[in-house]
Parts: sequence; C-alpha cells; structure tokens
Amino acid sequence: MALSQPQLATVKRICWMLSLVVVAIPFLFPFLWMISSGFKGPTEIFGEPSLIPRTWRWQNFVEVFEYQPFARQYFNSIYIACAVTVLTLLLSSLAGYALARMRFAGAALLMLFLMSALMVPEEVTIVPNFFLMKWLGVMDTHVPLILLPVFGPHGVMATFLMRQYFVALPKELEDAGKMDGLSRAGIWWKIALPMSRPALAAVAIITFLFSWNLFLEPLVFISSLENFTLPLALSNFTDPYGAPLWHLQLAATSLAVVPILIVYLIAQRQIIESFAMSGVKG
Amino acid sequence: MASLNEPGTTVRAPRAPWLTLKRRETIEGWLFVSPTLIGFLIFFLGPLIAVVFYSLSEWNLLSQDTIFVGLANYEDALTQNPDFWQVIRNSVIFAAGLVPMNMALALALAMALARPFRGVVFFRTIFFAPVVTSAVAWAIVWKFLLQGDAGAVNQMLATVGIDGPNWLREPNWAMAAVIVTRVLKMVGLNMILYIAALQSIPRDYEEAARLEGASEWQIFRMVIWPLLAPTTLIIMVITTIGSFKVFDHIYLMTGGGPENGTLVLAFYIYQQAFEFFEIGYASALAMIMFVIVLALTVVQLILRQKGST
Amino acid sequence: MKKGGLTMTRQGLFAAGVVASALLAGGACAQELRFTVWTGNDAHLAMLNGIAEGFRESHPDVTVRFETIPAGDYTQKLTFQIAGGNPPDLGWMFEDSIPAFIAAGVVEDIGPALRETEGYDLDDFSGPAMDLWSDGDAVYGIPFSTSPFMVFYNKEMFEAAGLKDPLAMAEAGEWTMEAFRDAALKLTEANDAWGFEFKDGEGYDSRIMHAIMPPIRAYGGHAWQDGECGFDDPEAVEAVTMLHGMIFEDQSIVPPGEQGDFFSGSAAMTVNQISRASKMPEAGFEWGIAPLPTGPAGAAPIIGQAGISVFAQGDKKELATEFAAFMTNAENVAVMAQFFPPARASVLDSDAFIDANELIPAEQMAYVSDAIKQGSVLPSHENAPKILAAMKPRFDALFRADADVPATLAAVCAAIQDEL
Repeated sequence: MALSQPQLATVKRICWMLSLVVVAIPFLFPFLWMISSGFKGPTEIFGEPSLIPRTWRWQNFVEVFEYQPFARQYFNSIYIACAVTVLTLLLSSLAGYALARMRFAGAALLMLFLMSALMVPEEVTIVPNFFLMKWLGVMDTHVPLILLPVFGPHGVMATFLMRQYFVALPKELEDAGKMDGLSRAGIWWKIALPMSRPALAAVAIITFLFSWNLFLEPLVFISSLENFTLPLALSNFTDPYGAPLWHLQLAATSLAVVPILIVYLIAQRQIIESFAMSGVKG
Repeated sequence: MASLNEPGTTVRAPRAPWLTLKRRETIEGWLFVSPTLIGFLIFFLGPLIAVVFYSLSEWNLLSQDTIFVGLANYEDALTQNPDFWQVIRNSVIFAAGLVPMNMALALALAMALARPFRGVVFFRTIFFAPVVTSAVAWAIVWKFLLQGDAGAVNQMLATVGIDGPNWLREPNWAMAAVIVTRVLKMVGLNMILYIAALQSIPRDYEEAARLEGASEWQIFRMVIWPLLAPTTLIIMVITTIGSFKVFDHIYLMTGGGPENGTLVLAFYIYQQAFEFFEIGYASALAMIMFVIVLALTVVQLILRQKGST
Repeated sequence: MKKGGLTMTRQGLFAAGVVASALLAGGACAQELRFTVWTGNDAHLAMLNGIAEGFRESHPDVTVRFETIPAGDYTQKLTFQIAGGNPPDLGWMFEDSIPAFIAAGVVEDIGPALRETEGYDLDDFSGPAMDLWSDGDAVYGIPFSTSPFMVFYNKEMFEAAGLKDPLAMAEAGEWTMEAFRDAALKLTEANDAWGFEFKDGEGYDSRIMHAIMPPIRAYGGHAWQDGECGFDDPEAVEAVTMLHGMIFEDQSIVPPGEQGDFFSGSAAMTVNQISRASKMPEAGFEWGIAPLPTGPAGAAPIIGQAGISVFAQGDKKELATEFAAFMTNAENVAVMAQFFPPARASVLDSDAFIDANELIPAEQMAYVSDAIKQGSVLPSHENAPKILAAMKPRFDALFRADADVPATLAAVCAAIQDEL
C-alpha cells in the first residue's frame, strides 16, 4: 500500500518522535525511579521492580530528618549558595566592569593571568588550601566553602562572563552618566549594573548551582554533621556500620533534587540560556 | 569627576595635577579588580605555587613530619609505582570514551532540537535536566539503578531476555558505566551550546545548498560542520578538561574500583593525600595533572589557531 | 513513633547543652570536652550522656559533648580534624586505624595517668585485649568494646530446611566449616533467601577482612605475621577456596553487588557482633546466635575492638585523660557492657554481664564470654590504610566466578608485601 505524501510525513514524524522518546528514557527515568524508590521500604526497594510503590512509606521522609540533622544541612547548603552567589555577583561585576570599560595599565596582562585559572582543576590546589584554611583557623566551618568558589576558577569564569557582557553594552548611557557627574563606582552601580540584568542573572544561576553541587571541598573541609552541606549529607545515608540505607538515601536525594527541578521547570528558558552564555564565553 | 569638583581639590587646581585622567583610570581600575585579584592570589595562585614545593617533600598529613626529598615523588610515580600508570591509563580511557561520546550525542541532539517543532521545549528540558542536578544525586541514583541482578537496569534487561552484567563490579563494565552515566549528566550542556551555534547559522546557506541538490548529509558535512568548528573546539576543550576533573562521580559510584578499574587521577590524588596521608606524593600527582591539562589545552588552542587561519 | 520521640529528646538535650554551654562559656572554670563517636543510636548516646553526667559529680563545671561522625567516614573525618588543627579531646578509635595513629604520634600516652588514678586497676584489662592499644608501659587507648563475631541465624529458616539448630550443633561439637557450608546450601534451597550474608553485606567492600578471616583462622592460616604475608599459605588458600565455592558454586552466599539483608529476612545467617542484636526486635522472626564454625585448626573466635583515646594535640589533655579513666573504670565498664562487651576480667566474669543483654539468653551469652577470652583481634598494621587499599583491587578480582583463587591470593601478597 503506497502512502500519500502527507501520510508519509506523518509516519516520519511519528518515528522521529518515538526515537527521541527512546533517547530521553535514560535522562528521565533516573528521576522517576529515584522519587518512586524514596517511597519504598527497605525490603521492597530491591523486590519486584515497579514504578508505583506497593506500599507508600511516607515514614522515609521522617526518618531522613531523624537520621542526621538534615534540615540544618539543607539550610547550610541554601545559605552558603546564597552567600557565594551574592559575593560572586559583586566581585565579578566589579572586576568584569573594570576589565571591559577601563583602559588601565596592565589590564591585558591581568586578563591572561586570570584566564590561566580556567585550566586548573580544583584537585590541584585542594591540598595547599587545606593547610591554608587550617592556618586561618576555619576548618570545619563554612568559610572555605564560601571563599574557594568565589575566588577560584569559578569566580574567574564569572568575571569573564560579566566582562563579555559589559563590552557589548552601548556606551552612550555611561557617557551621559559621566556628564551628570557620576563617579566610576556610581556609573558601575547606577548605570552598568541595571543594564546587565541578563548577565547578572546568568552568573547568579550558574553560581548558585555550582555552590549547591560542590562536593570535594565540603568533603575535605567539613567534619561535623551539623556543618554538612547537602551533597555530603546525601552520601552519608549509611547504617552505623557502613552499608547504604538506600530507601533513606533516595528519599533524601529526592528532597534535595526535586525543588531544584521544579525551579528549573518553571524557569527552564532562563536557566538554559544562562548556561549557554557561560559556555560561549571561552 | 565628582571628587575633582569638590572644594578641597579645586583650590589646588593651578598646579599640574598628579592625578591625570590616565593615572586615575589606572588606580580605579586596579581598585575595581583588587578584591578579585587579591582573593585569586591567596586562594588560587599561592596554593598553586605551594604545590610545587609540597611535591618536593615527603610529608605525612597526620604526624606532620616533613623532609625534603627532591624529585623522589615524581620518580616514584613515573618509574616505581605500578598504580600510577594504571591511573593514567584509566584517565585517558575515561577521557577518550567520554569526550567523543558526549560531543557526538550533543551534536545529534542539537541537530534534532535546533529547529522549533511541537514538543521541542519538552525534549530540551529533559535532556538538560541532569545538568542542573547535583553530580552526587546523579551518581547515587545510577549506582542504585546499576546494582547487580536486583538493580532496575538489569531487571529491565531481564524482561527482554538479556542477562545484564554486574555493572559496577566488573572493571570494564564499571568504566563503561561511569562514562555513560557521566555523558548523560553533562551532554545537555554541550547540546545547548551546539543549539546556540546552529541557530546562529543563517538558513540561506542551507537553502542555497539544498537548491543545488545537495543531500542532507552533504549539507551537514559541507555547510554546517565547518561553521560549527569554533564551537566544536570550545566544547572539546571544556569537555576534555572536565573529564580530567571528575571526582565526585567516581568517588560515589565505584570508589575507584573494582580492581582499580575506574581509579582516575583526580580520585587518586584525593586518596593519596587524605586517605594515605601522603601529602608530598599527592602534590607531585597534582603537578602532573596540572601539566597534563595545560598541555591538552595548549594543543587544542593551537589546533584552533590553525583552524581559523 | 517511639524512635521519633527519643530523637526529639536527643535534640532537646543537644539544644539544652548548647544553651548551657553558651551560658557557661562566660564562667572561668566551665570546660567542654569534645568526644567523637561513630554511633548515632539514641540508646548509646543516652548511656554516654549518663556517664558524662556522672563525671559532673566530681567535676561540676565540665560538660562532655558527644559528636557523632558516621562510621564509614569516621577515621577519614577524624584525620581531617586532627590534621586540620581542630582535634577532638577524646574519641573512639577503630582497631584498624589505631596503629597508624600511634605511629603518627597523635594519640596521647595515658598509661602513667591511669596507673596513678586511685582504684582504676589497669591490670584488670586482659593482656590480649590491651595488646593493640599499648606498647610496653605506654597506653594509647582503652578498649571499651571487645566484641566477638558471632553467627546470627534465622531459626525459622533452619526449621524450614529441616536443619539442626547451630547452637545445638555447637554444643555437640558438630558446628564445623563443612556443617556451615552444608547448612548454607540447604537454607538457600529451602527458603526464598540466601544462606549466608557477610557482615552487613559489606564483605566485598569495607568488610573484606571480616569476611575472610574467620575461615582463614579456622583453617589455621593468618593474614600476615612479622612482616610476612600469609594469604598465599595453603591454609588460607583452602579457606578462601571454600568461601569462593560457597559464593559461586553453591550460590549460598549473597554474591557481590547483590542485596540480601539478614535483618529483613532475605538471608538465613550472617556474622555480626552482639550490639547488632538491637536490630532484632524489628526483624520479626525467631533468631539466635551461635559461635563461629570451627575448622581443622579448631575454634578460632575473632573479636573486634574499639577503644577510647585522648588526642595529643588537644588543649585539655589532663581533663580528657581523667574522663577517659572515669569512663573505663569498673563501674562504667559494667554500664557500657549492655551494648559493648567489656575487656575487664572482673566485669566479664560477673553474672551481671551474662544477664546484661536483655535480647540474648544467658546460654548464648556464655559463648560470647568464652569468645572474648579466647578470641584474637583482626589483623592490624600501622600501614593498614595502604594495605587495605592495595588488597581491595586484588580481592575484587578474587570475588569473580572465574577467579583462580591461589593465583589471586599470591597477587594479594605481592601487592601488600612492601607495606608489611
């Protein structure tokens, strides 16, 4: 049976969609399975697989908070990520503005110098930073978790992102500001920053997630449960003898991941664009 | 300008101002960058230089005993320790598996999703979702899915009659598993970079080629691919560096096992420094890592220069 | 919801402690000792806080804060604290990490202080129990838990398989490695469960030594002695070959990467310490404990130890040492005996100890007591972290169906010889 042209197009379209759906499975399935398993009991979790739990064990979500100070750890992650984000926004826009707009001696060299940081993995500097933080007396506090992302390669990346954006901004408004007698700092704060909201938003989103997901630094610098951040707390759902408590771990992981996913679903365009901006910078 | 107009400064106006506009600009510029720069020097460059010195010592983390040993740590890594070369091999396999797979999949997805159609946002959102998810959560869930016979992946394979391997327990399968799950985690990022690049290609190019009777493959090969070259290079650099930095993913999924089959450089450094207390040896490894990443970046940048001229 | 209630109390106590210490911080004599532990168990913490409360009778200004660090990361995090210049005053120590800590000089010699403490009687601790923790007259820790590994078994599954009770077999002298292997196979066939699960299901990961040492010792082998590796001796090879056969031929032991939890009824036997009996009331099946099976070399009970050490970098070492002495005096060792089998001979022999654990009948506790007296600790070494890390990949290779056991064990020895 021969298919007409439009029919053929429809068949093609359906095949096309089906193949996309198949490819999407390994991306989507882990989330579904994570949430579903977070509701299962320790025996059901490895029993007959089923996406819908046979018995909904809400208690998992209570036990997550009993097992360790999970609410406190959740709060730690939120406030650290906020602190890192605010500091990064401030410093990166300040430095990025100077690098974009001010013709000062040594600026080009400085750019090159900072850029080298983008190539150095955190693992390279973690050991000396361990001793630096010890010397500063801030072990097992959140200070390293705030300072290192702000001043490390990520901060440099944010600075470049801001610089790229400032460079592309029209100069006229700033010149007008100069006429009105604004200082450099005034121009930066009152004119340049308000105009660069998209870039600030991009830096904020990327920085928040960067801090939120940080693992190596908390692992090395934090040792008491009350000071843990979420990624550390998630890796910590083992029974007192080291065996993983999958049902609690997955319930906790759901609690950590789902809010971020919801925000992502609401603001997906903005978030995806932010990452696109950060990638184009190189 | 505002401060120049203040009474105190105008009084001395007749003298040739030391604070020329140019000087002023320089001072202000350095002031603006100084918070970033000072932090950078203390928390990044200082430590980077310190690693060089650390690497020349034998230093026990716990007892803090330190002796100068010259290049012995490097010698140990490069000539004595059999684990080192296995670690390098693993890191190279990891990168060699991850980078092409990531880029090919990213490009394929981008080609599929660059043009609007009904559902395009839905698919983009799904493919990008793992990027915003924490690596720890992703690793935990996949470790769970990849458990032996009881794991969801093997349970599902069993329903279609495939007896899946014990993924995280067999060295080669474990390496494959950590690579693929890492690709799934990160591919969305490269996908959107490719989408952005594809959308910036004027459609006329494609139309013109099509009018001349070029096949879809020819259009891709002759028109699109060359125009994507700068993006491809950027993505390659980022992804390659990223693949050498992978720590949390390995730490949580396999702990470097089985049989050291997934022990990669970033994890090996951590292990030597903080589990075996070998600060000196770990610092030598960190230097080696630094050199490797630097070399890879330089090579790729040279390629880029060549490509653009 | 009983658990939730207790936790609330614990958090309440913690909050009260924080407020109290904040208030007291102004006072000149108020001091706080930070004590790291790896238990988060409410009953354990209540008991520890009770002991700290007792200490206040003689030291009214001293509070002790017990800080829980999860067992899996315990040594690692403790290392970070000590190396990071933020050491606790005292802490629990695992048997496998204490030699490295002694060698690095980070634990304090509290021997002289203990000998001077009135009524302490250091010699009450049995010699073998102190072996790991002392060096000549120097004492680097006091074992608070000297707990033998026992076989936990599911009585209902033994009945379903028509097998004799292991405790009865032990009394008749029939509880041998062969009987154990045979039982595991029959249990697997008769029940919808595995015959045997390694300790906490971690026999292929963090508990390799717990998995392999019982049979190796029962067959007369050893891990290492005087700097020589013993894994490739014929006794050890025979023992590990048996284990390998159980996993891959009989398929009666939960294999690598699989889940089979004894406490939730998916394995018929496991090996663990009696502190784990606290998990049994929720399990919902009839159970018992029996000694480890004997082998050609007779009975070879194995004990796990944990001790209390004072850290050398602490700034309140004297006070910390006083608390360590208080915590391990005869009276408090008897209190702790409800969870942690003691190493003090005077407590071990008392009826109070035999009756201490309400979950375990006296006739079973008698075996526990015997095992403590005759048992030996798991092998330890100051290079333990490196040795275990070097062993791990080779044991990964061992626990595969097609593994060549003698060759793999030889490879284990080759890999760890340098560190021994």
